[in-house]
Amino acid sequence: MKRRLALAVWLCGVALGPAIAAAGAATADALAQFEAANRLYEQGRFAEAARGYEAILKGGSFSPAVYFNLGNARFKAGELGRAVVAYRRAMQLSPRDPDVLANLRFAREQVHGPKWQPARPEQWLERLSLDEWTLLAAGAFWLALGLLAVRQVRPGLASWLRWPTRISVVAALGLGGALGTVWFEQTGRQIAVVIVREATARQGPFEESPEALKVHDGAELRVLDGKDDWLQVGDGRRRPGWVKREAVYVLRAVGGDV
Amino acid sequence: MQRARSLFGRSWRGCCLPALVVGAALWMAASATGASFRATLDRETIMLGEDAGLSLTFEDASPGDPPAIPNVPGLRIEYIGPSSSFSFINGRTTSTLSFNYRVTPQRAGEFTIPAIAVSVGGRTLQSAPLRLRVTPPSAPPPEAVQAGSQPAFLRLVLPKPELYLGEPVAAELQLCLRQDVQSFGNFQLTALPADGFSVGRNAPGARRRVQIGNAVYTLVPIQLALTPVKTGAQTIGPVTARVTVELAGGRRRDPFFEQFGFGLFGGAEQRDVTLVAEAQTVRVLPLPTNNVPPGFSGAVGNFSMEVSVGPTNVAAGDPITVRVRITGRGALEALTLPEQPAWARFKTYPPTVNLDYTDHLGLYGSKTFEQVITPQDAGIAELPEFTFSFFDPDARAYRTLTHPATALVVRPGGATPVPALAGGGSNTPNESAPVMDIVHIKPRLGTLATTTTPLLMRPWFVAAQGVPVLAFVLALVWRRRTDRLALNPRLRRRREAARVIREGLGTLRRLAAAGDSEAFFATLVRVLQEQIGERLDCPASAITEAVIEEKLRPRGLSEEALVLLHELFQAANLARYAPVRSEMELNALLPKLEAALRALQEMES
Repeated sequence: MKRRLALAVWLCGVALGPAIAAAGAATADALAQFEAANRLYEQGRFAEAARGYEAILKGGSFSPAVYFNLGNARFKAGELGRAVVAYRRAMQLSPRDPDVLANLRFAREQVHGPKWQPARPEQWLERLSLDEWTLLAAGAFWLALGLLAVRQVRPGLASWLRWPTRISVVAALGLGGALGTVWFEQTGRQIAVVIVREATARQGPFEESPEALKVHDGAELRVLDGKDDWLQVGDGRRRPGWVKREAVYVLRAVGGDV
Repeated sequence: MQRARSLFGRSWRGCCLPALVVGAALWMAASATGASFRATLDRETIMLGEDAGLSLTFEDASPGDPPAIPNVPGLRIEYIGPSSSFSFINGRTTSTLSFNYRVTPQRAGEFTIPAIAVSVGGRTLQSAPLRLRVTPPSAPPPEAVQAGSQPAFLRLVLPKPELYLGEPVAAELQLCLRQDVQSFGNFQLTALPADGFSVGRNAPGARRRVQIGNAVYTLVPIQLALTPVKTGAQTIGPVTARVTVELAGGRRRDPFFEQFGFGLFGGAEQRDVTLVAEAQTVRVLPLPTNNVPPGFSGAVGNFSMEVSVGPTNVAAGDPITVRVRITGRGALEALTLPEQPAWARFKTYPPTVNLDYTDHLGLYGSKTFEQVITPQDAGIAELPEFTFSFFDPDARAYRTLTHPATALVVRPGGATPVPALAGGGSNTPNESAPVMDIVHIKPRLGTLATTTTPLLMRPWFVAAQGVPVLAFVLALVWRRRTDRLALNPRLRRRREAARVIREGLGTLRRLAAAGDSEAFFATLVRVLQEQIGERLDCPASAITEAVIEEKLRPRGLSEEALVLLHELFQAANLARYAPVRSEMELNALLPKLEAALRALQEMES
């Protein structure tokens, strides 16, 4: 028996050892790159610092701190739009971090001209990350079905479990709805962030189309449509306009570079 | 006849065609020689706030594009569009093409539109200079208003003659329409000179009827938010506007004519009226310089304040939200959260602001600030009092609202690093000043993730959600099965009998191997009793060999099975008197028992 156990441990070690070692090496690399980028930032070499943080992300390692510092470097380098993108990414991973919230708010205050602003319910939903909503909804789902199963197995407990079951079912439905909304917000609807100093949104997807509105660096806009190299964007208040894809960064669900 | 027609045709061609050619040539010659150009104004004197029409008319000439008009300081000249006509008088054809412009004066005075030169077909045509006199706007005299000779007029009413700098007030523009004005439209403010004021929102008020002198007017109020931005005597106006009124002229509107555009023939009389409201002068007082509260940040009005703080039990570095709601009348949009020098031991973040107006002019409402602060060190016992000062123009004095200190419990900090301000460097009291920069970079990398794929998109997570579903389904099936058994005693008995037989056969094999014939036959009889009792739905203990003939044969059990059963029962009876049997003999009975049991199980119960 002991021999078998030792064999199983050895096999696990052989199988997982390289992966664990690789993960450890990746973390050490990321840490070294992070320290180097932070040093560049402190020296005022913001563009180089931004490239350092991006290298960490391209290496497949993500953390709110990397996105946050990348946002700061972009902001200091005068790239307001790319800073907003990075802060939003940091917020998706760590939605209640006061530093991230403060810097995103500060960056948004610097943006001129039309910009889309999330409605109050959307702001409320953004207080938790997608994974947190997922875990909450899954927890309520497991609890509700678990209680329903217990009631089947032990009918004598049914009267005791009536209210907990009802509450857990309602919670599962509510949290499922919230999760669906957040999921739709992050994947179904796209947000484009202007990454050039000023872009002209036109009434149609042609260079010859009349000008509809001017959008500025950092402005967050809803993507409504797309055609060839053009995206139709709007702030929800004025008429939408078409901008060149190269003038904006389209935020997808969590992931991707900045 | 044919010949005659042919002759006539040849004669027509011979006479008329040359005549037409000659006529066209003459017309072209006349056109070339008679081309003319003139510029005209529809009125030579207008009041500031009115427009004049400028027409550049070409006779027998067409310049192609609208001629460019020289810039005249004080006048705005906009191209409206062309119009053309064609006339044939006394055999002479004249084509006229006009380019029409709207001339809007920016100030009163005498203006000259210089001569305009246009090149047409190689020739240069020139118009004469035009003079336009723009008189200052003037309101209708009181006598005309009282006598009711004005169909419409405008008044500007200010709430008080003295205001404080930054004190917002609601002025009222009153559009007065004579009783016979059926309707009005196209109301347009053309000038609202208010250099010393910031003009805010406007909103229409409730109409009412007023009597002025001998005339009754419908008063249409338009409220206007004004905030003085300069001290001293400040003038608003004269305000000019335009409106189109429809006067009752005894003739009713006729929809038949109206659909063809002949409103003048069938409907009431429409008239464009230029409105002028006399200028008003207000004395704007500076805010008093004595007894200015230390935290005064320029708020003027009358306000109340609510403050809430939470949570109050935190670790050092944890966020606390201070919610300040300022409600009342004043310039809410410009209202800022005052600095709180007493909060030096707290890090402050830029507040979020929510502004709710309760009126259309934006003078009343509430402004809510949500300020996140973080205590810098453990041991802070309270959040010092919060003060907000403003100048009350009604009381002509400064007032200070104070929210008392809030008790706090600040524990030693955990893992959350205290954010530092860029360029701040050290924790000095100056850090409570308004945040003007982003929060500095994070020194720690934190927990690294190698994938940002959301949980919801990971197959293992989605598959895991099947576990509670499966558990619930299994519980449900189990419960159904239990209920079915509880409600069906025959089924329960069958299952119980099957269990007893299964265990009994196992026991029999063991007993046979052990050569324990006494226990073997006792078990064999019990197994047979259990199976026959279940088939006949009677107690197992009541089953004897007699049952075979009495109840099993009538039920159609095969003869072979009946014989086997008899044999088994008899073997059991025999064993009571001659209990010693060999293992082989006992084992030989087991296939017979199994065959008998199978036959019984196949028998209809």
